[in-house]
Amino acid sequence: MILQWSIENGIGRLTLNQPPSNTMTMAFFHELKVLMDEIPAMQHLKAIIITGHGRHYSSGADIRELLANVDNLIMLENYRAFVMLERLQIPVISAIRGVCLGSAFELALFSHFRICAEDAVLGLPESTFNLMPGIGGIQRVSALAGKAKAIEIILRGNTFSAGDALDMGLVDAVVPRNYVIPFAIAFANDLPGNIYTTDRSIYIHKFLSPLHAST
Amino acid sequence: MDNSGQVKFEVRDSIGVITLNDPPANELAIPEFIPVGLFMQWTSDSLLKGLIIKGEGRNFSAGGNLDEIFKISGNTAALKSMMQDGLNLLNKIQDLEIPVIASINRVCFGAGLEIALSCHIRVASENALLAFPESNQNLMPGLGGTKRLPLLAGFSQSAKMILTGDVVNARDAKEMKIIDHIAPRDMAFDYAWSLMQKMTHDRPVKVIRSIIRALKNAMELTPDKAMIEETRLFCSLALEEGERRKTEEA
Repeated sequence: MILQWSIENGIGRLTLNQPPSNTMTMAFFHELKVLMDEIPAMQHLKAIIITGHGRHYSSGADIRELLANVDNLIMLENYRAFVMLERLQIPVISAIRGVCLGSAFELALFSHFRICAEDAVLGLPESTFNLMPGIGGIQRVSALAGKAKAIEIILRGNTFSAGDALDMGLVDAVVPRNYVIPFAIAFANDLPGNIYTTDRSIYIHKFLSPLHAST
Repeated sequence: MDNSGQVKFEVRDSIGVITLNDPPANELAIPEFIPVGLFMQWTSDSLLKGLIIKGEGRNFSAGGNLDEIFKISGNTAALKSMMQDGLNLLNKIQDLEIPVIASINRVCFGAGLEIALSCHIRVASENALLAFPESNQNLMPGLGGTKRLPLLAGFSQSAKMILTGDVVNARDAKEMKIIDHIAPRDMAFDYAWSLMQKMTHDRPVKVIRSIIRALKNAMELTPDKAMIEETRLFCSLALEEGERRKTEEA
């Protein structure tokens, strides 16, 4: 399976599993849709953490495959899978290490929280190969970072660091690489189960403050 | 009133440059500082990839000529239509489907700041000064600034800036998210030009327009409607790119 799914202590782990770059193929999106249909019935699941297998989160869509299969309906289906993820009642946390580009960054943007490694590299490079982000990333970036930054990063298509992403409001926390997963797990355990009763910013602040105090 | 000559327009490397041209203050005689028809004609060039608005000489603009406003303030209909024409022009700037950067050196007050806020991105030199001084004359910003400023700076910061009429320096303006980039002293234009190149060089016009339109839709349409449009724009680009690669391989 390109999408690996497991549950440990009530926390689901959704792993993009096609190392080294964990490319998001059509098969990945299909597996994601199937999983999204199944999750609401999983009674004891209290949070989901999304990661990439190995060094990277994911380099995004398989462009060759994508260009060979251009279809409005397929794109909208992919978007709907992301929306289903976003509308889950339980918190969804992207734990981002290494590269997180294009569709992969869009997937992270549909998560409720983004915990980022210091060495992470993020971006929406679609315009550099004459395309544009196509799965809702445009909406999410403008909502989080404002129109000016959205225009700039999407037109430039440049990659940026975790620190820059934090400054722009595109990620919620930046921690050393080795702490990303433990941090995400501890954070997931600390969150109340229902994301819609949670004030995102309060939780991130509350969770980060003891860390700040100890450093 | 004739406002031709108050503004210059030129195109360099597919980037349009509008210059407020009444130095040193680049005061705006009337709110519609470019006749809207002329502005639409300038920007309808299908090869244009971006637009930069700057001031001639040292300053961006010290703002509108309030004497003109007080002169006709007895004539409510005339005043209203004058303001409406100005607002309409600024909305046209904001709605362009190419990136629009305000290049702000030194003074950027009142109607000058209204123009800057209607641009998509604001680059200011480190010695730039921004203000809405209207309340000092018992007026208020009248060209959409009361709506555009809070979108960037939030309600309370905007209320403070508009009510006090205080001048805000570039560093504070960046902190308040009113400006996006700080350039070295008096170097706003070089910075804006270089940023524009990074965003538009090697990008086909269609890619640029599709992205800006999708961003506009994200702000204005419901998420589902915006997404259907985004998908349509994406697929149109992807089909062309697929064809282009096929031709290249053949």
